[in-house]
Amino acid sequence: MLPRRQRPPASGPWGPRPAVLLLAPLLLALQGVAAAPAGAGGPEDSPGLQDAEFPSGLLQQAARAALHFFNFRAGSPSALRVLAAVLEGRATVNPKKGCQVDLVFTTDHYNPEVGEEHLGKCSARVFFRNQKPRPAINVTCTRLIEKNKRQEEDYLLYKHMKQLKTPLDVISIPDSHGHIDPSLRPIWDLAFLGSSYVMWEKTTQFLHYYMAQISSVNQWKTSDDAIDFDYTVLLHEFSTQEIIPCRIHLVWYPGKPLKVNYHCQELQTPEEASGTEEGSAVAPTELNNF
Amino acid sequence: MKWILFFGALIGLSVCGREKFFGDQVFRINVRNGDEISKLSQLVSSDNLKLNVWKSPSTFSRPVDVLVPSVSLQPVKSFLKSQGLEYSVTIKDLQALLDNEDEEMQHNEGQERSSNKFNYGAYHSLEAIYREMDSIAGDFPKLATRVKIGHSFEHRPMYVLKFSTTEGRRRRPAIWLNAGIHSREWISQATAIWTARKIASDYGKDPAITTILEKMDIFLLPVANPDGYVYTQTRNRLWRKTRSVNPGSRCIGVDPNRNWNASFAGQGASDNPCSEIYHGPHANSEVEVKSVVDFIQEHGNFKCFIDLHSYSQLLMYPYGYTVKKAPDADELDEVARCAAKALASLSGTTYQVGPTCTTVYPASGSSVDWAYDHGIKYAFTFELRDTGHYGFLLPANQIIPTAEETWLGLKTIMEHVRNNLY
Repeated sequence: MLPRRQRPPASGPWGPRPAVLLLAPLLLALQGVAAAPAGAGGPEDSPGLQDAEFPSGLLQQAARAALHFFNFRAGSPSALRVLAAVLEGRATVNPKKGCQVDLVFTTDHYNPEVGEEHLGKCSARVFFRNQKPRPAINVTCTRLIEKNKRQEEDYLLYKHMKQLKTPLDVISIPDSHGHIDPSLRPIWDLAFLGSSYVMWEKTTQFLHYYMAQISSVNQWKTSDDAIDFDYTVLLHEFSTQEIIPCRIHLVWYPGKPLKVNYHCQELQTPEEASGTEEGSAVAPTELNNF
Repeated sequence: MKWILFFGALIGLSVCGREKFFGDQVFRINVRNGDEISKLSQLVSSDNLKLNVWKSPSTFSRPVDVLVPSVSLQPVKSFLKSQGLEYSVTIKDLQALLDNEDEEMQHNEGQERSSNKFNYGAYHSLEAIYREMDSIAGDFPKLATRVKIGHSFEHRPMYVLKFSTTEGRRRRPAIWLNAGIHSREWISQATAIWTARKIASDYGKDPAITTILEKMDIFLLPVANPDGYVYTQTRNRLWRKTRSVNPGSRCIGVDPNRNWNASFAGQGASDNPCSEIYHGPHANSEVEVKSVVDFIQEHGNFKCFIDLHSYSQLLMYPYGYTVKKAPDADELDEVARCAAKALASLSGTTYQVGPTCTTVYPASGSSVDWAYDHGIKYAFTFELRDTGHYGFLLPANQIIPTAEETWLGLKTIMEHVRNNLY
């Protein structure tokens, strides 16, 4: 995600701006290491910049992927994080294999209603395999929320969700006007948690995602004490601008690792275009059981 | 309220970083003779009391109004008593009075708006937006006119609001504000209609917009893609393109912001009709785009073109179709930075600034690049709130805050244009 801020940062009008990739030094050091310090200016003019292999905003790309992975692994809908700013980073590019990005970035609470303005800090190593999704990620973050508090919040969420009347009488979250009923907010957070897994797996050097809307809730069960949630989410893909429907099935219990299965609709070619107008999710024929 | 006249001078001096006047009082002091005047002058001239005279003690038999800071109330009262000077407290708490006024003004503005039954803090249908445009033209007949510049693929009218302080046939230098070209970016249309009413209401009151309109005309197109907008309201909230038919394909629509004649079909667009960034069969194939192009070319004197989109919180300038630096990039960058700073000053919303290609991604056939390559130097793209949390589905309660902060950014750009006409 592009950095989201609730207040003007301390160091200058735009704070430590996310270090925009310096493409020229990268190109000059194809198999070396290029450093991109914080507050760096825009890319310099260089003929090599036309090369599609070096996308702008690589550091932010890496930060987003790292955060999706982190959120998924943390498995906590009350402790979701969003990118605040990239502090520093460098990329090592191997044109044959891919590129490795080492970076440090700050994070904010995902939920804008959470008042406290703590900035967590993360360091990550992200490896994008050429043209392939599912970047390999190693990420560690400082604690944003105290462990006990987080467990407490998760458990409260869980209890709230267990009390929701099924079947859930909702069509889309949020509605067309961006409204999410407060009682349904935990569903959104849980859905975002599941989507984080999907978004991580789909991210490449060139493609990144945001969760646009939950377009349907197919199933909401709480058997075996865990929350069993089957839903369809619309992901907004950059830079193609496509809306990708993904059917996601997750099982969640506070404190336990999240289990996720999903199937996303593929982009249609000109020949087999059908049903594009609705962008509706076609029920997939196979959905893995775990 | 006659006090407004007094306030005007005081407030005008401290408009940036507004001073506060909690507990400060205004004393009306009767001076009956020269002796009393000199006593009062003594009081006023003492540095540490920090008195502020609103009406100076030059002639007698006229009361003198003095603003007394709360910290000086006791010593001043003692002095006046000891010198036998008659006085009354006309304002017991200046800050409270100012706050009340603010409230009243806002309430009135709200009433004004609600009496039109158009709630600016909500999303509206195409018909409602068109009606409101008509309403604005009706409320400000000397300034605003609703002009039809063409129609959409499905034959809906394309309306712009023209703001002009001249009735002459002379083509004044002009500014084009474009919104809603991508139909799902609802905050764009919503911001535009708010801005329309703001321009009209503030003319004659706000020096910035007044002087801008004294020199230039403003054309505002709140819904550049009417068919798409209706589709987002009725069938698919996340529809982006036009609704034109693509022969030989079941997929509908062309990306209207890849359809302009600026490196048409270049990098950052698709030749697949099913793609969200399909550029179309040829430049200006979309009647919505052609209508704007024809109008601007026929007019021939546009100096500024601003396109409102969402989301990402970015303020960008050409080029999108190449990484090559635009000849005016340095100036545009500076203007954009100032505008972003002004925007952020309201609620702290931060925007990133830069050329389109490297700030977001390569994009050919965009409106702003076309405008720039056609001699419209001040060409900017706004990507409004937010940065991905709600994305296109920005809650309605963020409309007015977004519009208000964006207005500051727009004004900054328009002021620069006004000061740098070429």
